[in-house]
Amino acid sequence: MMLKETSRKNAVHIMLVYTGGCNGCDIEVVNAVLSPFYDLEQYKVMLTWNPREADILAVTGPVTKKIAPALKEIYDAIPEPKLVAAIGACATVGGPYANLGGDLGSSDQIIGGVEKVIPVDAKLPGCPPRPEDILQVVASVIPLLAEKR
Amino acid sequence: MADTDRKDRAEYEVPLGIVHSALLEPFRTRLFVDDETVVDAEITYDSAHRGIERIMEGMPVQKGLIITERICGICSHIHLWNGTRMVEQGLGIEVPQRAHHIRVIGNELERIHSHLLFLGHAFEILGHETFSMRCFMLREPVQNILFFLSGNRVHYTISVIGGIRPRADIDKEKRRTLLGMLNSLEEGCKNFANRALKDSLIVSRIKEIGYLSKDDAVKYGALGPNLRASGVCEDVRTRVSEYSNFDFDIIVYDGGAVLDRVACRVFEVLESIKIIRQALETLPDEEPMNVDFEIGEMGFSTSYNEAARGEIYDSCALDESGRIKNYINRTPSMSSISAMEVSCIGDHLTDASLIIASCDPCLTCTNRITVVDENKGREYVLGPDEIRSMTRRRRI
Ligand code: SF4
Repeated sequence: MMLKETSRKNAVHIMLVYTGGCNGCDIEVVNAVLSPFYDLEQYKVMLTWNPREADILAVTGPVTKKIAPALKEIYDAIPEPKLVAAIGACATVGGPYANLGGDLGSSDQIIGGVEKVIPVDAKLPGCPPRPEDILQVVASVIPLLAEKR
Repeated sequence: MADTDRKDRAEYEVPLGIVHSALLEPFRTRLFVDDETVVDAEITYDSAHRGIERIMEGMPVQKGLIITERICGICSHIHLWNGTRMVEQGLGIEVPQRAHHIRVIGNELERIHSHLLFLGHAFEILGHETFSMRCFMLREPVQNILFFLSGNRVHYTISVIGGIRPRADIDKEKRRTLLGMLNSLEEGCKNFANRALKDSLIVSRIKEIGYLSKDDAVKYGALGPNLRASGVCEDVRTRVSEYSNFDFDIIVYDGGAVLDRVACRVFEVLESIKIIRQALETLPDEEPMNVDFEIGEMGFSTSYNEAARGEIYDSCALDESGRIKNYINRTPSMSSISAMEVSCIGDHLTDASLIIASCDPCLTCTNRITVVDENKGREYVLGPDEIRSMTRRRRI
């Protein structure tokens, strides 16, 4: 394995952007998975708030119209190779705000689904997904990061 | 205050957000500083607007109430409970006492995890990683209790109209386990309270910043623990009939500083544990669900309750087929925002984000009054200035 790949695999930074959900997924990612209880850092994944440093972008929440430009800007600021994980029902399809059923359609304040704004590599449904599942998703995209360049 | 006034007084403007490491949630803070002292602050919180009240219009009430739970991922239970309570009161539906007990248990567990989350964040911003991690570690057992009780860690869906969801019922076995879990939680919380509030380093750092006087707290509409930390004894739980069977203290502090807000929440956690224990011990033995009701037309009905951050208000009416008309939900953060802005003033710039965090902002619920001007094709949120100027124009 090349030196570059080894080092990349051993220092993965994850950045979280919250795009208007209910805070549920957001807190599960930051405070459950990165807390000492579940401890994502055992996989050498660190939380960062700086897009220039990030490798994985975790997005939670249905993208509201207001925050879509900010999300795009953050995505562009992340250097290649980068991966995007959409976490939660909101981020994958728009969640309860998009799928109202009948003639009600979707809320007109949201774009709905991160896919519609930026390309997504991993999706994790659930409202909110369990911390074990979040761990698994992050652990499973790390090898992808090494392949991508 | 108009922008020009601010510019006269301030040397610089320090913007934080929309996405910023110290804020977690997407909101924008503008701090106007004069030689590193904050002279004015402005919080804009429109980026999470999802139009929930709007999408609930015309929904069958059972379905609509489930959406209220998705307003917030921290205080999800209280939104659902207060909404159900409002419909039950409006239609005169009787609810078994057992269901009331379990709903109260849900609400108090939620208060504990919300306060522990707050403490974790406050210490994180303070730079005390160890305490912050200890808080998150203490919070996990609460989440586990909630998961054990209802099957979900965040959206528990305990209340349904007429009672509680059968999955969230507490049988004998579950009750014993819950009491055991509660004992170890209480011990952890007591140890932590002792350790954190006696730490001279932490206390000296947070005791004299972020002062919010009693008058200001009332004037700017602070609610819940923020209000109680400024010396006002006010708790909606004292007026909610479901709580009348339980004995608990209201924690009031006079200082109004960050320390008081932290201490107030620490001790509220212990009070909540007390309430849960009483509720579990006196749990009546009966069916937790009353299915003998009919949903039909309902006039305007309201309900108040105490969420983790203060008073919450819900109101709506139903049409003949039980569809929601005009759902209104007013959450505590909405009212506390101006108090947050005020408590920053006069402090050093570096303390501002800590002070805002010490008021426990939770803004998913608060995004509203977005005005879309279709002719000009722009979208904006009404601020106090616009509202005032609109009121003035109206009078002429
Ligand atoms: S998926 Fe559920 S928990 Fe996650 S942000 Fe959306 S509503 Fe909240």
